Amino acid sequence: MGAPFEIGYVFSFLPKLLETLGVTLLIVAGSLLTGIVAGFLVALPRMYKIPVLRTLSGLYLSFFRGTPILIQLFLFYYGLPELLKPLGFDLSRAPVLFFVILAYGLHTGAYAAEMIRASVEAVDRGQVEAAYASGMTSYRAFSRIVLPQALAIAVPVFSNLVIALLKDTSLAFTLGVMEMTGKAQTLGTLTQHFFETYIALALIYLVISFTLEKVLLAAEQRLKRHEAREEKAGRSFKLRRKGSYRAVLADIDAGKGGRL
Amino acid sequence: MQLDPSFIWTAFWQIFRAIPTTLSITVVSVLLGFAIGTVTALVRLYRVPVLSQMASAYVTFIRGTPMLTHLLLIYFGLPMLIDGLAESFGWSFRSVSIPMIGFAYISFSITAGAYMSEVVRAGMQAVDRGQVEAAHSVGMTSFQALRRISFPQALAAALPNLANSVIGMLHGSTLAFAVSVVDINAQAQIVASTNWKFFEAYLAAALIFWGLTALIERAAALIEKRVGAYNRGGVA
Repeated sequence: MGAPFEIGYVFSFLPKLLETLGVTLLIVAGSLLTGIVAGFLVALPRMYKIPVLRTLSGLYLSFFRGTPILIQLFLFYYGLPELLKPLGFDLSRAPVLFFVILAYGLHTGAYAAEMIRASVEAVDRGQVEAAYASGMTSYRAFSRIVLPQALAIAVPVFSNLVIALLKDTSLAFTLGVMEMTGKAQTLGTLTQHFFETYIALALIYLVISFTLEKVLLAAEQRLKRHEAREEKAGRSFKLRRKGSYRAVLADIDAGKGGRL
Repeated sequence: MQLDPSFIWTAFWQIFRAIPTTLSITVVSVLLGFAIGTVTALVRLYRVPVLSQMASAYVTFIRGTPMLTHLLLIYFGLPMLIDGLAESFGWSFRSVSIPMIGFAYISFSITAGAYMSEVVRAGMQAVDRGQVEAAHSVGMTSFQALRRISFPQALAAALPNLANSVIGMLHGSTLAFAVSVVDINAQAQIVASTNWKFFEAYLAAALIFWGLTALIERAAALIEKRVGAYNRGGVA
């Protein structure tokens, strides 16, 4: 299959693949933005227990988490123009990238919603009560007390979300978007050096996800600096919601032999 | 082109036939992945020199690259390796005799292995250190303590994550189309393009996946309730 292995090709493919890095990152950034907005919209009815909307959010979450992203991509690409045609929108000329970003965005939105809900719920109820007791409005209590703490809790999950999204964008080529994986396939077909292209491709993905992980880890540490100081002062007290078995497990400090 | 609701039903049954393929890819990759993951996790937990570094590199690489690249790397790389070895050792086995689905099995097991190793590792770390110490104090060997005490508890703790991994592999199996294996997704593609009804076919495929995912979730919740019985706390 193909030509014999030559390591030189890996290096010559790297810059060619990097040319399309912009498209990949555009999909990631666009979907992330869409996803966070969608995530908030979906998470709010669940957090505030708004009757009908809550059921709808549940359905949204179940669907987007219950079907593969590849199927969702095709569903959006073929289905959306048909669904919107009777409403007077003509999407047949919309760029493919639009469908791709929308599909990835709504897919990410489902995971973002769970992330938002879980991290807000992980902030101790007493914190909000204390904020109210000191005379803050509910908006202020949220923006000054809950949000900063929830953010710190959300970062590790967010980090996983971004990296998963980056890896998922490798499927956009199925709709004909020329992002890195699509480019790699073209290069492979042109030169018959498939294995080398995919090694180069894997290396690029690896470097990007590694960098993203490190950057977000640094962000997490910065957001958690207050907690770190507390711990240094000898108080091993940590904010923890009574929560479910799962939440408690997620909270276990691995380094300490799993004390509960 | 108009939406044809009755075709969704037709497509549903045509796609239904591909379920065994999807499930076999999922089951094989989950089982092999679990075996690979357990070994990898243990090697890392016990800090076996050299092997634990290799295990870390493996997990980092797999988790940092898309599953599709693993499949493509195996698909193009493995035949090179096998044929190269076969030539130099004079074997009669050639890569041509590997069925397409074999590549999916191998590559997805490798992918699942890395993710499972993190699941197993987190589960093992969730087991109270005192449990192992107690096991040693009643005279169990390290292996006995691992097999009888730590591992069952770790498995119970890891169950929610394990269920997520299984669902992840179920959804990941759609990538098998890249090596021309006809799973649910590929079947949907065939049904769609032969009838020129794309939306209906993918809708049917989405419904099937939705149902399968719900089944796995339900099963996981049941098992979780059962194995978590020892850990409910409280009285009675």
